Amino acid sequence: MRSRSNSRYAPRWPTTKSASRASPLGKKVREPTNFYFCHSGCVDTVVRTSGLTKRFGDVTAVDGVDLRVHVGERVALLGPNGAGKTTTLLMLLGVVAPDEGWIEVAGHRLPRGRSAAMAEVGFAAGYLPLPERLKVDEYLRFYGQLYGLPDPDIEAALDRFGVAQLARARGTDLSSGQRTLVGIVKAVLHGPRLLVLDEPTASLDPDVALRVRTGLQALCRDEGTTLLITSHNMVEVERMCDRVVFIASGRIVADGAPADVASRFGGADLESVFLRLAGRDVAERPFERTQETERPAG
Amino acid sequence: MGAGLTLTGRQLSWLRIKAVAKRHYYVLLRAPHRLFDVTIWPLVDVLLFGSIATFVNPAHSTAGRLAAGYLLSGILLWHVVYQSQIALATGFLEEAWTRNLLNLMVSPLREAEYVAGVVLFGMVKLFMGIAVVSLTALGFFAFNVTDLGIGLIPVAAVLLVVGWVIALFVIALVLRFGTGAEALAWGILFVVLPLSGVFYPIRALPWVLRPVAEALPSTHAFAAGRALFDGRGVLWGELGLALLGCVVGGAVTFLLHMLSTFRTRGYISRYT
Repeated sequence: MRSRSNSRYAPRWPTTKSASRASPLGKKVREPTNFYFCHSGCVDTVVRTSGLTKRFGDVTAVDGVDLRVHVGERVALLGPNGAGKTTTLLMLLGVVAPDEGWIEVAGHRLPRGRSAAMAEVGFAAGYLPLPERLKVDEYLRFYGQLYGLPDPDIEAALDRFGVAQLARARGTDLSSGQRTLVGIVKAVLHGPRLLVLDEPTASLDPDVALRVRTGLQALCRDEGTTLLITSHNMVEVERMCDRVVFIASGRIVADGAPADVASRFGGADLESVFLRLAGRDVAERPFERTQETERPAG
Repeated sequence: MGAGLTLTGRQLSWLRIKAVAKRHYYVLLRAPHRLFDVTIWPLVDVLLFGSIATFVNPAHSTAGRLAAGYLLSGILLWHVVYQSQIALATGFLEEAWTRNLLNLMVSPLREAEYVAGVVLFGMVKLFMGIAVVSLTALGFFAFNVTDLGIGLIPVAAVLLVVGWVIALFVIALVLRFGTGAEALAWGILFVVLPLSGVFYPIRALPWVLRPVAEALPSTHAFAAGRALFDGRGVLWGELGLALLGCVVGGAVTFLLHMLSTFRTRGYISRYT
C-alpha cells in the first residue's frame, strides 16, 4: 500500500454524489468525482482491501494483500502465472470469498454491498465468450439493463471501439478478438467508475490492441474512470498505467509508478522486473534489445 | 451508472428481471430444440398415455373410465411440475453451458432477481406446454381439462411450487458439483414421477416405497388432482400437506449455502 499526497488527489469535479451530465454515449452519467461516500465517511479510494487472504487447500493463492486504488488511477496488477492476480480480481468482484481480510469497492463493503458495488464496476476478460444464442446488440442491451439502462445507446458504445458493424452479429460468428472488443464494450456501457480488465488484449492483434488502448485511455481521460488491469504485456502496461502492483506468491512485492518500480529493481523496464520477480535473470532474455528497439514511440 | 440513477430500487429490480426473462426468450428463439420441451414432449406424452387410456377403456366401463381419466389428468398435472422444473433448471444451466456465469456474477444482478427472471419466462413456457397438452387431450381423446373445474388452479399452483423447489435443489447441486450434476435436471423427475402417484394412488406402489411416496409433496398434490377427477372437490388438507412438504425455505437455504460454498472454494474457475 502506498500513501498519496492529498493535493494530487484533490477533487477536480464537484463531489455531489448525484451530479449528472450527458456522456459521450448520449446517456446520463454521474460527474466523475474523486470521492465516495460510505458508512465510514468520505474516501478517495475506489478499492480498499486489508489483509486479503485466500487459500485453496494447502495452497495460499493470495496472502495478506493490502491494496488501495485511488479514484482516477490506472493500475496494473502484474505477476507471473499463478501469482494470485486473477484470484485477487475475483475477490474484488465478489465472485470468490476471501478467507481473511475485508474488501470495500466504491464505498461498499463486500459481500453485503456486492450489488451496489458492482453497479459501479465494469468487468471484461479476454477469456470470456459471448453467450452463443444472443446477437451483439441483444447481449449489450441485456447487460445494459442489468446495470439500470433501459435503452442503452448500443451503436455509440460499439462505435467507440470501432466495431459498430458488429451490432447484429451473433456471438458465434465473431472472432476471438471481436468477442474481446464486444466484452469491453459491455464493461464500459454503463459508465462504470471502476473498470476491471483481466488480460483484455491477450487475443488481439496489434492493430486491435491499439484501438482498445486508445478507447480505454479516452474513457479514463474523459469520464475519470479508474482502471484496474492484469496483463502480461509489459509494454502495454507501461503505456496505459500510471501505477503497477507486482504480485508474487500471493503477496504484493512492488507497488509504484512503472519507472520507479523498474529503477527500484535495477531494471530498464517492467519486463526486467517481471523476469526478476518470476525468478529469471534479465540476461536470459535474448531479444531484450530487439523488443526495446521495436517498441513504437508514444 | 447512467439512467440507473433515475430508477427506484423496485423499478431497477423489475428492469433486471425483465432483462433476464428476455435473455431466455432469445435462447428459446435461437435454439429450436428447446421447443421440444414445450411442444413435442407434451404432445408425445399425451399421445402415449391417451392411447393407453383408450386401450384400457374399450367398453367404457366405470373402472376403465377412471383409469383413463387418471392417466390423462395425471399427465396434464405432471407437465406443470415438468415444465416449471425444467424451465428453471435448464435456464440456469444455459448460463453454465455458455460460460456466462462470471459475467452475471460480476453484475449488480441479485440472485433473487435472476431466479425471478428465469421463472417469469418459465411461466410462458409452462403455458405453452400446458396448452399443447390440453389441446391434444381434447382433440385426440375428447378429454376436456376444464371439466376438472376451478379446483384445478390451486392443485396446479402447488405443483408449480413443487417444480421450482426441485429446480432450486438441482441448481444448488450443479453449483456444488459442476455441470456433471446436470443429469439431475432431467433424471430427478423420473424418480419423482412413479413415487408421486401421478397416475395411481400410492397404495398401488410396493409397500416399502409408500413411506417415501408419502413424504413427497407432489404425492399429496396429485392425490388432490385425482379427487378433482372423481368429483370429490378440492382436498385442501392434501394441498396443505403438499405445500408444507415443499420446504421452499429449505430449498432456498440449501441453494444459498451451495452458492456460499461456490464462492468460498472458487468454483467459478469451472466456468471460465
